[in-house]
Amino acid sequence: MVETPSTEQHDDESAQAQSQRDYVAQLFSRHRESLHRYLARLVRFDDAAELVQETYYRLLRHGGTVRLEAMARAFLFHTATNLARDHRRRRLTHRADQHMPLDTQEIGQDHLGPDEQLAGEQTLSVIESAIAALPSDTRTVFLLHRFRDLSYPQIAEMMNLSTRTVARKMAEALERLGTVVKAAI
Amino acid sequence: MTLLQRLRAQPNSAAEWFARVRSGRLEPRDDEAWDEWMGADARNAQSYENVELAWELAEELRDRPLIEGMLRDVELSSTQRRADSAQRRAGAAKDWAFGLPWRTGAAAAALVLICAAAVFVATRPNVDVYATEVGQQRTVTLADNSTIALNTATQVRVRYSRALRRIDIVNGEAVFTVAHDANRPFEVHALRGTTTAVGTEFDVQISGETTAVSVLEGTVTVRPTEGRQDGGATQISAGQAVEYKDGAASAIRAADAGKVRGWLAQRIVFSNVALAAALTDYNRYIKTPIVLGDPNLGAKHINGVFRMGDERAFLDALEQGLHLTATATPTGTVLQPR
Repeated sequence: MVETPSTEQHDDESAQAQSQRDYVAQLFSRHRESLHRYLARLVRFDDAAELVQETYYRLLRHGGTVRLEAMARAFLFHTATNLARDHRRRRLTHRADQHMPLDTQEIGQDHLGPDEQLAGEQTLSVIESAIAALPSDTRTVFLLHRFRDLSYPQIAEMMNLSTRTVARKMAEALERLGTVVKAAI
Repeated sequence: MTLLQRLRAQPNSAAEWFARVRSGRLEPRDDEAWDEWMGADARNAQSYENVELAWELAEELRDRPLIEGMLRDVELSSTQRRADSAQRRAGAAKDWAFGLPWRTGAAAAALVLICAAAVFVATRPNVDVYATEVGQQRTVTLADNSTIALNTATQVRVRYSRALRRIDIVNGEAVFTVAHDANRPFEVHALRGTTTAVGTEFDVQISGETTAVSVLEGTVTVRPTEGRQDGGATQISAGQAVEYKDGAASAIRAADAGKVRGWLAQRIVFSNVALAAALTDYNRYIKTPIVLGDPNLGAKHINGVFRMGDERAFLDALEQGLHLTATATPTGTVLQPR
């Protein structure tokens, strides 16, 4: 009677794996087009299709699922963004291997070289300036949430605002940055 | 719209939806509404992509000096607010800073330092302090959308009230781009003198005992003494500059707008400046000064535009242009005739 429970467990696992596969497949069928368009703004068009596929496998292997569609999409796009970043780094290494001349002065400066970043220096500085130009409170909310990982209630307490106001200010900041990104990339 | 309806109101734009999703309080009902919104119009998903992209790209900015500087300011001013209210409550408070999930222990340690500094720097409420170190620059946007560009080694305090926008330059140099507000003058205090503007752009620089005010746009009123009396007030307009020291103002002279525009673009500009004066200026941007090995060299004049942070290029230009040699010593780089 030793084998029965282990078989059951195996069935459980495969049922779980199956449901995970279905879930990922469904998620992709709904967001694939959008994801491809998104990635094509970060890497070459041909590479974007490849990265969509890579993201798909990455999610299949990942396991745990988020049952809210909006959260699942956020995870999907975040994963894809990380893969795009790796992709750009790989391309840079590849180029270095081929002894293509790199502008060492550019690389030697404070920041990473242009291809090691997710986007060109110009795009990034446009976003940076847009953050700097946000109204003071809106900027504070954005900075604390984005770079300090503080939750809305934590920020609300810290700034003596309501959580609702924090959410509104986040939306204001995102509205502005979304507009800037739309124009830039 | 009733209050209840307003509370239930669903987001109405990509940014609002994204902010709601990130709130961590998304209900299944909201999720359905999100799904519906995304599918309602092809443009909705596209603008949502823009926001997602902005959010993800912002990660690349995390370690940049400008972002780090803004975060420092945020932490400084909120620590200050906390310190103020803690003071009022006579030590009854537990410091919030340690209850929050700061990224690392190092951040917490830095915060302790900032805390101490903040209490030391300013204990009055609603004062924001912005500072740069040697060689650093930073632009801050204030609540009314006025901006301050801080040059190297500069410290300013900002205090906004309903009737007045008051800035104190403790040291250094800054350019103020003032948002128009006729009901709330913008006052810059430096070394006991005041420059008042309504909506304009101007540079204020403290060097030693002297304050120089240069106007790039609009008009400002400069009072070389404390208080509001009009005695000794000088009005200067775009392209003009005035200096004051010990309560007295100089004659109006032409502003060196090229120099100011230069530093705003990380360039140090010298147009026919005596080497001694040029070095005083250049040394503001570097930690180890460049000094003259022979005082007679100070009278030579130089011209040029130099990129901040590229000291080697500046020294090369001096060596070649003025036939000097630059020797690094522990206390400074010494210039000698060749």
